[in-house]
Amino acid sequence: MDEKLKVLVVDDEEGMREGIRRVLKKSGLQVDTAENGEEALDSLKKEIYDLALIDLQMPGINGFEVTEYINREIGSRTVVVIVSALATVEAAVEVTRHGAFDFLVKPFTPKDLLEVTGRALKQHELIREREKYLYELNSERNLSRQLINAMQEGVIVLNIKKKPVLMNPKAEFFLKKRYTENLEISDLFPDDTVKSAIDEVISSDESESKSRVMHAGSDEMMILFRIDLLLQDGEKKGVIVILTDVTDEWKAEKDKNRFVSMVAHELKSPLAAIINYINVIQTGMLDEKPEKIHEMLDRCKTRGDALLELIRDLLYINKREAGKVEKSIEKINLKEVIESQLDFFKVQAEKRGILLTLSAEHDEYIVNADRGDLDRIFMNLISNGIKYNRDNGSLTVKLNREKSFIEINVSDTGIGMKQEEMQNLFKEFYRVKNEKTSGISGTGLGLATVKRVLSSYNGHISVESVPDKGTTFTVQFPV
Amino acid sequence: MPKVLIVDDDIDLLEGQKLFLEGKGYRVETAASMNEGLAKLKSFMPDIILADLMMEHYDTGFVFCKKVKDNPETKNVPIIMQTAASRETGFAIDIESPDKREWIKVDEIVAKPVQLDMLEGKIKQYLLK
Repeated sequence: MDEKLKVLVVDDEEGMREGIRRVLKKSGLQVDTAENGEEALDSLKKEIYDLALIDLQMPGINGFEVTEYINREIGSRTVVVIVSALATVEAAVEVTRHGAFDFLVKPFTPKDLLEVTGRALKQHELIREREKYLYELNSERNLSRQLINAMQEGVIVLNIKKKPVLMNPKAEFFLKKRYTENLEISDLFPDDTVKSAIDEVISSDESESKSRVMHAGSDEMMILFRIDLLLQDGEKKGVIVILTDVTDEWKAEKDKNRFVSMVAHELKSPLAAIINYINVIQTGMLDEKPEKIHEMLDRCKTRGDALLELIRDLLYINKREAGKVEKSIEKINLKEVIESQLDFFKVQAEKRGILLTLSAEHDEYIVNADRGDLDRIFMNLISNGIKYNRDNGSLTVKLNREKSFIEINVSDTGIGMKQEEMQNLFKEFYRVKNEKTSGISGTGLGLATVKRVLSSYNGHISVESVPDKGTTFTVQFPV
Repeated sequence: MPKVLIVDDDIDLLEGQKLFLEGKGYRVETAASMNEGLAKLKSFMPDIILADLMMEHYDTGFVFCKKVKDNPETKNVPIIMQTAASRETGFAIDIESPDKREWIKVDEIVAKPVQLDMLEGKIKQYLLK
């Protein structure tokens, strides 16, 4: 040990004090002395000693009282050896009863002194080692507690009587409950789903875990509860409940189900109209009015075409989501893309007297993108601008260069939308439905696809609209 | 002549069903939205209503039916809901359980596409009641 062990020698006889001091100093100990009990207490308050050699009979505070003080205030950090001329068994017993470790009988030889001191210091070392071990054990406990507290999963431990005995912060967060000693199982799990699973695990003879999925904390959060038997040396001690946040998975599943349901709905709706028309024709009730039959067949064709378009869009989305759409990113002039799209829609627009205009200061608006993606974005926006326009209206596409992006405005003079109608505009299968839109066909996938495609380029789309005046879509495409 | 009101946002479906039922001797009025349907009911008292579910919103049909059944003038008119959003396509529509019946005020739900002679058969059943 690098640091010298410290000894306090308490004796009212100066010769004895000094004699002991010299012997102990020689053997490498650091020695302080005190003349009486009061002085001893002062020293003990200032300094930590490994060993105290205390004379029993002193005026004022005697040796027992100093020993008691050490036991009470300092504990096993300081080992006490009593020095006394009372060499009886009773005295020895009395000394240890007061908490001293050993007893040194006056008169003693330096050898006796060193022997007793050596034993005492050995004892002292043992005590220190035990304390160190206990400290480490304790901090290991702290470590596992810290680990439990740092976990992303919630942890709850219930004892065999199903009383909660441990709950980490994450579990408190999931269940919106603070752990207290008064907490009962029914406070944590008000409904039977998890409670009955806990009962099953506790009463089962096999240590098989059970899992339950249910809302916790709020309807927006979905938690997986896994319940395991807590065993110690093969004996049932309770259960551990692990709580995992599965909200994202649950939401994704819900979205997927919603999407599939909507797909089914959107596929069946046009079929319903087509089948009904065919039903009518089959009755023969229109045999006298062939022009009416032709009209119906035309509508069947239109709805069939729309259905085909929807199926194509769905397959495209599916392929895109699966990463199976091959893309070749190249430098493309947006102006050219838009010009060719406007050209494609020219005939359709002219039929309704809609004027198509492109406004661009420069010749080139270069972006890095896949041509197919750009076509899809502007085909959808221009097609919407014509479909939802008024007859003899206009559709204007404006290109603007900004610092980090190119901004494209697609403005129509059409029916426009109310604020509340625009809320879900970019969601799959959302279509504004009112008297004005009832005759306009669409898949409900166009704008959702535009948004998806754009966000894959970190682009952005927004919309402004005034009912009966028109709508402007603004696309920002990063350069 | 029995009177039918059809409410559906699909104008082709309205057209086909209207022609069919007219050919079978019904008087048919159509409406392409909930509000149009409610407005029609002020001047036209049908013997039965056929209503779609997903119109302006996914549950517009239910709102429409509740309004019809909550109105003392029209509360006894039977309603057949025809929808492509049926349970087989993943929608949790269930009029069997009592708590759902509380707010889903329809007499029957049929899945689209509906064969029109089957639909007429259903209409006849209700008219006989």
